[in-house]
Amino acid sequence: MSNAAGSLVLDGADQKEGQEHNNQIDFKMVTFSLSGKDYGIDIMKIKEIAKFSSFTYVPNSAPYVRGVYNLRGDIISILDLRILFHLPVDKKAENEETQNGLILSLDENVIGVVVDSIDKVIGFSSAGIQPPHPIFGDINIKYISGVVENEGRLYIILNAERICAKDDSVRKAADSALPAAADTAAAAVSAETYQEPQSYGNSLAAEPERDFIRETLKTFKGFSITPVNEEWFTGRFAEWKEKKKQQGADLQLKSADDADEYLASYYSADTGRFWEDDTAARYTRALAAQSGKIIQAWSIGSGKGFEAYSFAAILARKYPGVMLKVWAHDNDLLAISTAPNLVFNDDELPEFLGPYIVMGKNGSSFQTEFKNKIFFEYHDALHPNSLPELDFIMARDVLPFFSQEDQARLFAEFHEKLKPTGLLFLGDNEKPLDSSRWAPVSGARAVYKKS
Amino acid sequence: MRVEYINPFVEASYNILKEVLNSEVVRGELYLKSSSTPVLGVAALVGLAGDVEGRVLFDMTKDTAIGIASIMNGEKLTVLDELGKATITELANLITAQAVTKLHDLGFKFDLTPPALFTGENMEISNSQVEALIVPMKLSCGKIEINVAIRERA
Repeated sequence: MSNAAGSLVLDGADQKEGQEHNNQIDFKMVTFSLSGKDYGIDIMKIKEIAKFSSFTYVPNSAPYVRGVYNLRGDIISILDLRILFHLPVDKKAENEETQNGLILSLDENVIGVVVDSIDKVIGFSSAGIQPPHPIFGDINIKYISGVVENEGRLYIILNAERICAKDDSVRKAADSALPAAADTAAAAVSAETYQEPQSYGNSLAAEPERDFIRETLKTFKGFSITPVNEEWFTGRFAEWKEKKKQQGADLQLKSADDADEYLASYYSADTGRFWEDDTAARYTRALAAQSGKIIQAWSIGSGKGFEAYSFAAILARKYPGVMLKVWAHDNDLLAISTAPNLVFNDDELPEFLGPYIVMGKNGSSFQTEFKNKIFFEYHDALHPNSLPELDFIMARDVLPFFSQEDQARLFAEFHEKLKPTGLLFLGDNEKPLDSSRWAPVSGARAVYKKS
Repeated sequence: MRVEYINPFVEASYNILKEVLNSEVVRGELYLKSSSTPVLGVAALVGLAGDVEGRVLFDMTKDTAIGIASIMNGEKLTVLDELGKATITELANLITAQAVTKLHDLGFKFDLTPPALFTGENMEISNSQVEALIVPMKLSCGKIEINVAIRERA
């Protein structure tokens, strides 16, 4: 056994090493599309996201200069990246009144660029950026600072300085040919003819931040925000934003530790350890009287077994004399392997576990008779299982570790396996995906039955 | 699959392979699978019955099978003949029997069926109704994947 256990630990270490590369998110960019391809610009260079409505045409300028624009009193020039890069311009979009754009803030000047559509903000480790490859023939390589892959999409990172440097030199050339063309044009148009850009201002600027946190939670912890926990996420985001504002710290999550801190308030009472007596009492109250001779329960994501033992103990107390079977599943082989032979120190053990514990030489453990009621299995919840019809399903704080699609499959599985009188226990901040098929049990938090 | 079942299979595979091949054996990372799995070319299958139902499949390429049979017989084989096939069958039997003995000591009662050997190209094994534990083993002459699928009898 020692052999196998030893190499299990080694495997774990190998995995960690592999993951170290994406541990630090230190580069963020706003992504957008130009004729169907994905591009990004460093978020530090971006002043704001805007919609442009009418430009003032500047005669004799380069074709990719769309004109000048009044940005709340500052006259900025607007470039069309699609023309600059010789990409096709969607005619339909061209005729629309407003166009998507980014306002770039560079060392000395502020400049606007028109793009097809703004996508989102993504973050990743700058170690993942690869040098540009000459094969990206659409765009002159000197405008590209690198290429990065994120969630299966390839983004070309544009070098904002170079794009605008070109504009500068061209503009200077144009200026010398037609003295102060831009200035004259700008001055010629009275302030009333300009329309303010519909700046996204604060309300929309907050959205990419929110989406970004959503994505970092996924990257660092594999934690999905779906309708199961959207409500908690909305509340937590407001709280987090306020807290970081007071601390004067950056809103975003830069490491797995930040993500843990963000998620600290998510987890249900006594997750990952034995339940306290009041948690046990709370769940016991939700249990209704049962007439059956057998009680069968399923605990998903039992980890080292604390959850499964606690749950089995309240069931055994509530339904004495009934044959109890608890299937405790986890897909973490190392954690679940320790569960059947869990040994612990009983200094502060909750009272309700008392009757099932025996003292041993190395610490306390559970009575064999009690342990025999629980089947610890190495199992992936998405794979087929041979479980019978169940009275209870305990799935606290595990659903976020599945994608929304997989969550839907799991809820369908729960619905199929649960008896008509059965109960589904979710985490304190979770609710079922399909609320029409589940009804909350009155007087209990996050406990549901089939509707 | 119950965690109590895992170690006996892993240990038995490791011990027996190391002993009969008389060389270093490296265990890869264990994982679970429930989709259909391609079979590499030679597959020895042992059925399990008793408290549970299931099967153990030893999967390897033809070259690996010939390599193992050569070492176990102490002579250089070039094709997988009757002797080679019997050797692989026996290896499957040895490993499963030792695992079942270990499980017996832990209080689980398993019986095993005589091994069957399959060889051929483009074979596939279907795990559609049961989840299989995959134990990859790297040997000096190739790799063996031990595919264990066990479920409690309902």
